[in-house]
Amino acid sequence: MIDLLARTAAVAPDRVAVVTDLGEATYGELAAEARSVAAALIERGLSRVAIVEPDARLVIALLAGAASAGVEACQYLPDLDPDEFAVQAQANGHDQVITRRSDLVGELIDPEALTSGVPTDHGHPGAAVQQLLILTTGSTGQPKAARHDWRVLAGRLEEVAPTPEWRWLLAYGLHQFAGLQVVLHVLASGSTLVAPFPRQPRDGLRAITELGVDAVSATPTYWRFLLAEARGRGATMPPLRQITLGGEAASEALLLALRDWFPAARITHVYASTEVGSVLAVNDGRPGFDAALLRSPQRPEGRLEIRDGELWVRGSAGMVEYAGQATLAPFSADADGWRPTGDLVEVVGERVHFRGRDSEVINVGGVKVHPLPVEERIAAVAGVAMVRVYGRANKLTGAIVAAEIVAEQGVVPDELRAAVRDAVADLPRAWQPRSLQFVEQIKTVGSKTIRRVEA
Amino acid sequence: MTTTPESILALIGEFLTRASKSRDDLSAQTSLWADGLELDSLEAAELSAMLEDAYGTDPFSVGATMPETVADVLAFYEGARTA
Repeated sequence: MIDLLARTAAVAPDRVAVVTDLGEATYGELAAEARSVAAALIERGLSRVAIVEPDARLVIALLAGAASAGVEACQYLPDLDPDEFAVQAQANGHDQVITRRSDLVGELIDPEALTSGVPTDHGHPGAAVQQLLILTTGSTGQPKAARHDWRVLAGRLEEVAPTPEWRWLLAYGLHQFAGLQVVLHVLASGSTLVAPFPRQPRDGLRAITELGVDAVSATPTYWRFLLAEARGRGATMPPLRQITLGGEAASEALLLALRDWFPAARITHVYASTEVGSVLAVNDGRPGFDAALLRSPQRPEGRLEIRDGELWVRGSAGMVEYAGQATLAPFSADADGWRPTGDLVEVVGERVHFRGRDSEVINVGGVKVHPLPVEERIAAVAGVAMVRVYGRANKLTGAIVAAEIVAEQGVVPDELRAAVRDAVADLPRAWQPRSLQFVEQIKTVGSKTIRRVEA
Repeated sequence: MTTTPESILALIGEFLTRASKSRDDLSAQTSLWADGLELDSLEAAELSAMLEDAYGTDPFSVGATMPETVADVLAFYEGARTA
């Protein structure tokens, strides 16, 4: 990571690398700060550290410095509850914590004490450790720590084209795999990162309209919130060059809405996860991906395969292992290097469509219901600003399909309820929502919609 | 929400309207199943969810035996109210 910083710092040290609410930092400044961090970490003799810090400038310097010093870094949610942090830090064996907070357990290290020291131009003597831990979002329980190799992550950046005039919005948390991917792409392309904090969709909207942004990478849920916010405020959007979607399946309705708002933007849907890394990117603006990419007799080198309705991948820049939890095997590779993804897919014609996570499937009296197609039907109803479809436990049928809806302003709930019922009337009866509630905001974890079955 | 017989009957009536079922002869004696409202499992699950949303509990999920009639539903809440 420090090599990426140093590369641009060598030719354009005054180019702005990151913009936050606290100010700007150039590539030259960040590279120097990263070298200071490396020197300080080496001097302290650390091998593993936790980072709990929201400011993108500091986090980039800390990660780059740690990588250079051969120190395994692991970021936690910056505003994580102290008790919850204590549980997670203990599980991951973290005793040293780089943070400006004072309410966390462990040996607390002020990040600014690391970035302001004397820089070093070399890394850890004989540093063999090139790893970092990335916590999963924990959407199905406690976050797991996925151990990644910097060299594998950086290896995927060799073909990134320089775009020094571009400004990328950081819409993910920097502690997430997707957020780190955005940062690495920005550094590899010599671009500028615009990183407001908090990173809610309304903050992203402000950054797009006020701070100047050319490209945005975010989840479909984030985009739905952002567009709803923009509609509600009557915002005028500047043109974007690039929109990247990831983390969840993107519906056709969302893709069309993005095309309407940003007609000049290239829309890319990437398929990646903390565990399997980046797998593919789709640029044709349609939901799902081309079935020709699947492994077949005609394409034996294919890295994607469908087994029992689940997508499997192989040979990607995936994690090395789950840290300290070797028995957690759901994403372990088989003998041929194939890993299950937990994503359920269906081939329709020449296209592979995502139907949701296996953990999201709703068993309604023995009928397996995928929430995403139902959600897409409801999302298309006029007057629906946001929708979440999930399973609700029920003694009579095991579960029923439930929907939470955020209605647009001025909509009459009873009329909208009737319109939603009409919109799903031709679905199989078990697929039709039996619980429909109007809410102020739908539930999310990070910037993903929660769809698992709830009691 | 108050668990009066009137409010419960109104909620069942609302459910029947949503389910496009007749509510003309709805009374305490009406059977929930055959020869009455003719609920199937999905409709009963929907009614149980509506009752739970409104009153925090419902006789389909909590009761030891399934309610047979509208009167059984009313009695469940009457029992909860006086317990």
